[in-house]
Amino acid sequence: MTPDLRRRRALWQILLFAAGLLVLTVISAGSVYLVNKARDDNASVIHTIEVENQIHTLLLEIRRAESSASGFLLTRGPEFWTDHQAAVAGVPPHLNRLVELTKDNPAQAESVRKLRPAVETRLDQFTREMNYIEQSDFARASALVREAAAGDTTSTIRDAADAMLREEQRLFTLRSANANNSQTLAASLTGIGSGLVVVLALISIWLVRRSAAIRDEAEARLRDANLNLETTVDERTADLREANNEIQRFAYIVSHDLRSPLVNIMGFTSELEELGNDIFRRIGSLTHVPADGPPLAMNDAAASALEEPDKQLSQDFSEALGFIKSSIGKMDRLISAILNLTREGRREFEPVRIDTGELIETIVATVAHQAAEAQAEIRVGELPDIVSDRLALEQIFSNLIDNAIKYLKAGVPGEIVLRGRTKLGYAIFEISDNGRGIDPKDHQRIFDLFRRAGLQDKPGQGIGLAHVRALVRRLGGTMSVSSELNVGSTFTITLPIKWNASNRDRNQ
Amino acid sequence: MTQPVTIIMIEDDEGHARLIERNIRRSGVNNEIVPFANGTDATRYLFGADGNGLAHKGNALLILLDLNLPDMTGIDILRRIKENKYLKASPVVVLTTTDDSQEIKRCYELGCNVYITKPVNYENFANAIRQLGLFFSVIQIPAAAT
Repeated sequence: MTPDLRRRRALWQILLFAAGLLVLTVISAGSVYLVNKARDDNASVIHTIEVENQIHTLLLEIRRAESSASGFLLTRGPEFWTDHQAAVAGVPPHLNRLVELTKDNPAQAESVRKLRPAVETRLDQFTREMNYIEQSDFARASALVREAAAGDTTSTIRDAADAMLREEQRLFTLRSANANNSQTLAASLTGIGSGLVVVLALISIWLVRRSAAIRDEAEARLRDANLNLETTVDERTADLREANNEIQRFAYIVSHDLRSPLVNIMGFTSELEELGNDIFRRIGSLTHVPADGPPLAMNDAAASALEEPDKQLSQDFSEALGFIKSSIGKMDRLISAILNLTREGRREFEPVRIDTGELIETIVATVAHQAAEAQAEIRVGELPDIVSDRLALEQIFSNLIDNAIKYLKAGVPGEIVLRGRTKLGYAIFEISDNGRGIDPKDHQRIFDLFRRAGLQDKPGQGIGLAHVRALVRRLGGTMSVSSELNVGSTFTITLPIKWNASNRDRNQ
Repeated sequence: MTQPVTIIMIEDDEGHARLIERNIRRSGVNNEIVPFANGTDATRYLFGADGNGLAHKGNALLILLDLNLPDMTGIDILRRIKENKYLKASPVVVLTTTDDSQEIKRCYELGCNVYITKPVNYENFANAIRQLGLFFSVIQIPAAAT
């Protein structure tokens, strides 16, 4: 997965989440708003019904007063009078209540304003009617009833009430519709919102599942890659080991097989030397034959009695053989060195705890007389103890100390210093001298087999440092040199403090 | 050697063979030396055509053996000699360039009687062979089992 793709996917997730939150907020706000609206609408509807109810109550009270007045006129029963008084007393509060209820609606207020004088007129008529009846002036009372029935007060009341009822009916229809709408809207909003949230959730789930699938796939690929890597590393390591073993075997076989012809060359050269001596002795004895006596015995006296040209021949012969023999000797030493190196390479290392200071002291003691000859002083500082192969460590340090003594500057008292410290699980040893130093261009060369640097005035095969570096590497360490010509050299060896055979040396 | 002992020399390098023979002679040993330059010829001679070694029944043999042969290793020959009921009593001297301690140990385990590494230094080589010759001149060798 590229970083770009990952960023885009994260952005998508955030957007989706934000969208979900937004939808939820809108739904909540809308729901609250719509529920409030519905409540208001319902309150309006109830208000309408209340107004209608009030109108009907008012009309009912008026009718009751009317009918009880008529009953009192006919029977003059006191219960009709009481009833009438109760009805009349109920009218003004109902009217006031109606005014109160309708004051928010200008049309209705207008109707109420028309209604109020008519009702008051009618009430006044009732009072007069009752007064006539009490005074037993029935004729005038009846006339008043007729007048009231025929007059326009009643019709005004009816018309105004009708108008109000119609208006309220209209409002009722309107407000019911409104309330319905609000409720429908709220339901729809909730429904749509829920649907949206579900859709968003589904998209989220899909996205999560997809990224999980991609992650699983990536993990699987990573695992495969790791496995492959391990296999590759194992294969390469095995190849390297095989190659290394091959080289070791090769070196071993070659050095052995080289020895065989060398035995012949050396053997027959020696035979030839014997033969040459015999020949020249014979020549000497033959050239000095006294004229009268027997030839001289074949002995050294005869050889020394060679004539001058023959002597020269004999010397040339010996010189040639000498070169051949010294070359063979050198070659034999080289082959032995290779054999020793391969043998060393095959030796099993055994990690043991080593008191480094003691080990160095032992080495210093063995080279004490060489050091004294070279007027060299060896100072050993504090050295960290390590776990390593004892023999290898001995070889490493004795080679380096030997070299330091061997390549001191002539005429200058030598000063060889060994120091040690630890760093991150490694012990670092430094062997410094104030000797003749090594030209920087030779710093690599000196570690190569059979290569030497500087003035060739000391015996040596060019093996020591190559051997030391091979040992250090096998012990899991590194080595380096810093040196300046005519100033001195410092060899630095870094070795693991706790070396175990498994990390390097498994199949040696 | 008072017995008519035959020295069997199995050595692929003719130069070595010559040097060995010359130095044995110089130590005064005059026994017959039968040289072989490869393992095949040597084993045919030692064990006969049928490979049972019956041919040398009753002969006294001393075997000089090189380990590095072109067609087989001297160790195989050594093992066959020491497993053969007619030849197993014959002394075997391994004379070779190999100085590997594992090889030396193996040869002695298989029944080799003397193991000598050929020195490159000729003086040492000649000396070793002459001393071997002196050794040959005093050693008692049994006849192959009858």
